[in-house]
Amino acid sequence: MIEHLDQIEEKVLTLGRKFRIAVACAQDSNTIGAVHKAVDKGFAEAILIGKSSEITSVCKSDSFNKTQYTIVEADNETKASQEAVRLVKSGDADIVMKGLVGTDKLLKAVMDKEYGIMIPGAVLSYVAALEIPAYHKLLFITDTAVIPFPDLDQKIAMAKYAIEMAVRFGIMRPKVALISASEKMSRHFENSNDYAIMCKMADRGQIKDCIMDGPLDLFLACDKASLSVKNVSTPVDGDADILLFPSLESSNPFYKGMMLFAHGELAGLLRGTGKPVIVMSRNESEKSKYYSIALSCLMA
Amino acid sequence: MVLKNLNDLRRLVNGSSRRRLVLAAAQDQHSLGAIIRAWKADIIEPIFVGDKAGIIDVCTSNNYDITGLRIIDEPNTEMAIETAVRMVSSKQADILMKGKVGTAPLLKAALNKDWGLRTGNLLSHIALFEVSTYHKVIAVTDVAMNIAPTLKEKIAILNNSVSCLNHLGYVMPKVAVLGAVEMVNENMSATLDAALLSKMNQRDQIKNCIVDGPLAFDNAVSLESAKFKGIKSEVAGDTDLLLMPDIEVGNVLYKSLVFFAKAKVASIILGAVVPIVLTSRSDSEQAKFDSILLAAAACK
Repeated sequence: MIEHLDQIEEKVLTLGRKFRIAVACAQDSNTIGAVHKAVDKGFAEAILIGKSSEITSVCKSDSFNKTQYTIVEADNETKASQEAVRLVKSGDADIVMKGLVGTDKLLKAVMDKEYGIMIPGAVLSYVAALEIPAYHKLLFITDTAVIPFPDLDQKIAMAKYAIEMAVRFGIMRPKVALISASEKMSRHFENSNDYAIMCKMADRGQIKDCIMDGPLDLFLACDKASLSVKNVSTPVDGDADILLFPSLESSNPFYKGMMLFAHGELAGLLRGTGKPVIVMSRNESEKSKYYSIALSCLMA
Repeated sequence: MVLKNLNDLRRLVNGSSRRRLVLAAAQDQHSLGAIIRAWKADIIEPIFVGDKAGIIDVCTSNNYDITGLRIIDEPNTEMAIETAVRMVSSKQADILMKGKVGTAPLLKAALNKDWGLRTGNLLSHIALFEVSTYHKVIAVTDVAMNIAPTLKEKIAILNNSVSCLNHLGYVMPKVAVLGAVEMVNENMSATLDAALLSKMNQRDQIKNCIVDGPLAFDNAVSLESAKFKGIKSEVAGDTDLLLMPDIEVGNVLYKSLVFFAKAKVASIILGAVVPIVLTSRSDSEQAKFDSILLAAAACK
């Protein structure tokens, strides 16, 4: 079982193969740094796509040996994104990674009906594994990046993606907390209706391999002591593995708060694509970027 | 303590003083027979309001001996209804029963803002069935009054019925919220409401009962069927109360139990200050008698 983010690479190394990462707009020292570490560890090869002169100069100034990489020339963001996706689709690479390119441009290439790599009909979403020193285990959270206001079907897809990732980490029957401001059903919080429906679906085996409850507030989800204070009994039991948030506006500040104030690190990945796509914000630490690369290999 | 059959209701009224039942527009051949029987069985003390000559006429031609019973002569039907309802609101009677009068004018009077029987709760219908193929009495709501209840109305209907069953001695009645299937299906709104009601019950927002749903009729009443489908539920196979999605399902179930399964039935209206007996002409005399018995047992 993976209990810390730095164990992801150990698990990936046991797979005994090198994952080929196609980086779109690789002329970014932060991105190349993270990729370089994965290459160094021996579980990745990189195809750096973008302005080759700039890529070469980044490698030079950061003293990476550019002969370790395949460099592919692409003179703008759209072409670089399309090339990265094309390489993965054709089987010449395993993973798409975002470099110095806007997320929307990269996702446009990923989601292209003809040339993209979406699973047909799948919901595009995002799951992150957070390591927070103040919590006793890894916490998977969704969706911190893609869907602003998920509807019921999207919430169900988000839950399934997070469960799938937790199971891949070796957490059998992860505890899923559907997060709200209160544990009560309330017409003021429409999400509570979706949550009740999802819980029943989990009861009936329509959402599998998990223990689910919600609405729950964050205390009831993650703090056992709160259960007796509030006199609530829930199978999540203050021991959540997965937090599903009702909106991007709630999930995104949560994860950023954990990074800023609670020394959190994360590994995150888009879900719903046929092949892994690593999309990180530029503010992410190099450590988190590296964890995300390792995670994408694990889920490849 | 659950009821094995409708006769068990007798135990609940034995020992308590006779309930005063006021029959509105009492010159009614269809209800007088059952009332006389319930009176002779020491269950109720009838009070007749209506056309005195007509009342005596019906009793004479059917050989009902009503010596000693109170008759209030009020030949005008509308006035007879008002008088009967006012007797209840002034605590001179414990049960209201419909005589030779339409349901609509009786309920209109019962809901009168100044002298009616309003409690602020929704009025709803509960029916108790004794079916030879089920191991105990099964209550069904609402098969006769609320046409297409909203979630809010379902909560009110449920609360009325649960409070009645609690009063009849059921500590934690098992409530199945009926659907066409036991799975949550976004295209079947009954299954979604069922999930919400279950969650509200788990959160103690619907009290004094155990709610599970959606359950299909077969797994609500047959443990074997529930096991076969792999449903884990405290309610499945042992339902005390079935909550109907709408009146069409409810009414057809009610009539098929009576006509095909030869069920005995007792039914009353809940949600007013006192139980209201609203039998229809097509009900058997036994059903009318059992309804009166239920009303007496349900009196607070």
